[in-house]
Amino acid sequence: MSEGIIAVIKPEMKSYIWLQTVDGSIQQVEQEVAMFCPMICREVIQTGMGSSKNYAILLPQRVNPFILGSILDYCRFHQVQGRSNKERKTFDEKFIRMDTKRLCELTSAADSLQLKPLVDLTSRALARIIEGKTPEEIRETFHLPDDLTEEEKLEPLRNISDDPRIRLLNRLYARKRKELREREKLKNAEVEEERVDERSVDDLLSFINSEDAGYSATVTNSVISVDAKGDKTSKNKKKNRRRKDQIDSTSNKDEENIPKELDTSPSTNNILEANLSRAVKVQDFSSGTFSPKLELDDGFMDDDLDPAMKEELDREVEDFARRLNSDQHFVSEL
Amino acid sequence: MPIVVLRSSMQVNFLDQSVKLTHMDEDRISDLPHSIVESILTRLPIREAVKTSILSRTWRYRWAMLTQLVFDDDCAYLPGELGPPKDTLVKFVTRCLFLHQGPIHSYKLSTSFLLNAPDIDQWILFLSRKDVKELILELGEGEWFRIPSCLFSCSKLTHLELCNCELDPPPTFKGFTNLRTLILHQVIVAADAIESIISSCPLLENLSLSYFDSLAITISAPNLKYLRLEGEFKDIFLQNTPALVAISVAMYMTDDIAEHFEQSSSCKFVKFLGGVPLLEHLIGHVYFTKYLSIGDYPAAHSVTYSCLKVIELYQVSFEDPKEILVVLRMITNSPNLKELTISGSSLATSDYTATTSAATSDLEFWEKQCPWGCTLGQLKSIRMSELSCLPHEMEFIKFLLRNSPGLETMHVSPSSYVKENVIHMLVELVRFRRASAQAELIFENE
Repeated sequence: MSEGIIAVIKPEMKSYIWLQTVDGSIQQVEQEVAMFCPMICREVIQTGMGSSKNYAILLPQRVNPFILGSILDYCRFHQVQGRSNKERKTFDEKFIRMDTKRLCELTSAADSLQLKPLVDLTSRALARIIEGKTPEEIRETFHLPDDLTEEEKLEPLRNISDDPRIRLLNRLYARKRKELREREKLKNAEVEEERVDERSVDDLLSFINSEDAGYSATVTNSVISVDAKGDKTSKNKKKNRRRKDQIDSTSNKDEENIPKELDTSPSTNNILEANLSRAVKVQDFSSGTFSPKLELDDGFMDDDLDPAMKEELDREVEDFARRLNSDQHFVSEL
Repeated sequence: MPIVVLRSSMQVNFLDQSVKLTHMDEDRISDLPHSIVESILTRLPIREAVKTSILSRTWRYRWAMLTQLVFDDDCAYLPGELGPPKDTLVKFVTRCLFLHQGPIHSYKLSTSFLLNAPDIDQWILFLSRKDVKELILELGEGEWFRIPSCLFSCSKLTHLELCNCELDPPPTFKGFTNLRTLILHQVIVAADAIESIISSCPLLENLSLSYFDSLAITISAPNLKYLRLEGEFKDIFLQNTPALVAISVAMYMTDDIAEHFEQSSSCKFVKFLGGVPLLEHLIGHVYFTKYLSIGDYPAAHSVTYSCLKVIELYQVSFEDPKEILVVLRMITNSPNLKELTISGSSLATSDYTATTSAATSDLEFWEKQCPWGCTLGQLKSIRMSELSCLPHEMEFIKFLLRNSPGLETMHVSPSSYVKENVIHMLVELVRFRRASAQAELIFENE
């Protein structure tokens, strides 16, 4: 055996442990460095593996050769006894300066090798990266898929999620919808106008709430996707009326029943969506700011309503916005 | 009808969805083991941890599985919340608990707001059903919140820390069988209630009682290792604490208690330090040494503290021979003492001449009662501070220097109130014989 001969010729040579990563490559590592990892230490002691190339210790799948190099650097530094805490801390700070992908791989590998100090170090670093970022920034940093529906994003964690743009969008949307509905009513028969006059804020709220789900399903943090299907217009108008009837009859109930309505009226909104697409100018939302064009559209639409109507509208929108924020918090997961 | 799509600069259009899919394999963090994800989320403030719920589908309820929850006043200031901060905090905590899944091992609530009792009651009830192990409540000062009885049904508790509340165990309470740490700070509780709680927690190792008024307490805890007491204590009887390793006491005294002490005849020293053979570290503040000197008599000091390595006594009054005697006996009964820290009482008079005349007669005790010939063989480090150059102080230092052959360093620093006597102190110190040839006498004078 060549190793045996080498050992005889150079007795002062350090003893090595042989490690094999999942891709098949084998490397030898100084014993004291490798034994710093509890998993390797246990393997050596319990099974006696690692003493030669043919009996290399098979490392867990999550450890690739590149990451193994980093881990061994860490072990090599920290296994030396005489270092001060300050030295170790400085080394650690420099060591974890790497991109997040590598940091995640390192955490995973260190965990599979049971190297707890390194797991703690990398966990702390990952927590520091996450802290203070907005959800978009976190998604971008870690390449997370943005696969929640808007509805799921908004409930049940409104205001716990802490995203001010979602709330602002909610308010603006509610206002838009309300104004659209008013316009529609003015176009439609007197019956609806009467309804507008008779309804209390509660009724309006319940109606808007029932439409809320449909709209929010198409709203992302910074996206408004409006889908309108024109051929269903007439059918939807009827549907709308039926929905309105339904809501009228139930509007006298406790407002807490509103959540039930949310899931049962997903399709009422197509007509309104169509109107919305015509009325609202399409524009890009840059992150965090809202285009002033929306405000212009407000003015455009308000001209259609008489001033008294407008005042009532404004008042009700404000009231609604406030209620939207306080009531919707109790929407639980359905 | 036109399909109108608005997106931010990050997501370009629908077609990009397919591109996004190929990037999904770059998402490394979601695949990390649950324990690591929990460790990461636990290091975030709870608000940030909850925010991760809108990152993606896999992250939606990850925060809800956290077993360590820490709520503090940061949760009272959420942007967009219009109500008073106290209500915001209550809403946030309630909602988080309501959405939580799985066991809760550690719960900490630290707030300066005076919360309504029903809210906290509900939270504690909720926690009692979640096998909570660590419960820390630091409530605002003012009205004392009365802990509900459901706390006493948290059978898995290992760590209980309460601050600013009122504790009243129900009669059926049999104790926390798993409790290892009990910390009560400014808690209103009857003395016998505390005693029964302590004695009914067989595994109790760590006990801290602070800011109690006029408490007379008997402690019986066979596994108790660490004891910390701070407040006004009329009497402390360590009845059954053989495993105690470290004690720290800060004893404050009101006039009532001082009177009580004068009339008391029981030997406090025996009651306190009579049954702690494994003691390694003793710390005493303010009136501790005075307390120990009450009812003291020579035969009381029969116990040898062979494990005692560190003694720290602060605000020792060197004008009172009884206190000095107690300190001396403690030191001489600790053959393995390594470190000694003594600070004098700043209440000492700075009038040097007055004290000399008064104390002259007392100095005889150093010749008669002081145990000469005792060797503090292991003593390596001594620190004396806040000295007022009193005769007893000087004799004390003289005694230590003479009997510590292994001494390495002695730090001496005078009190800042006695600037004029510093030279005199130095002159005396320099004269003292030292048993240790390598002892360094370091005089610290700011």
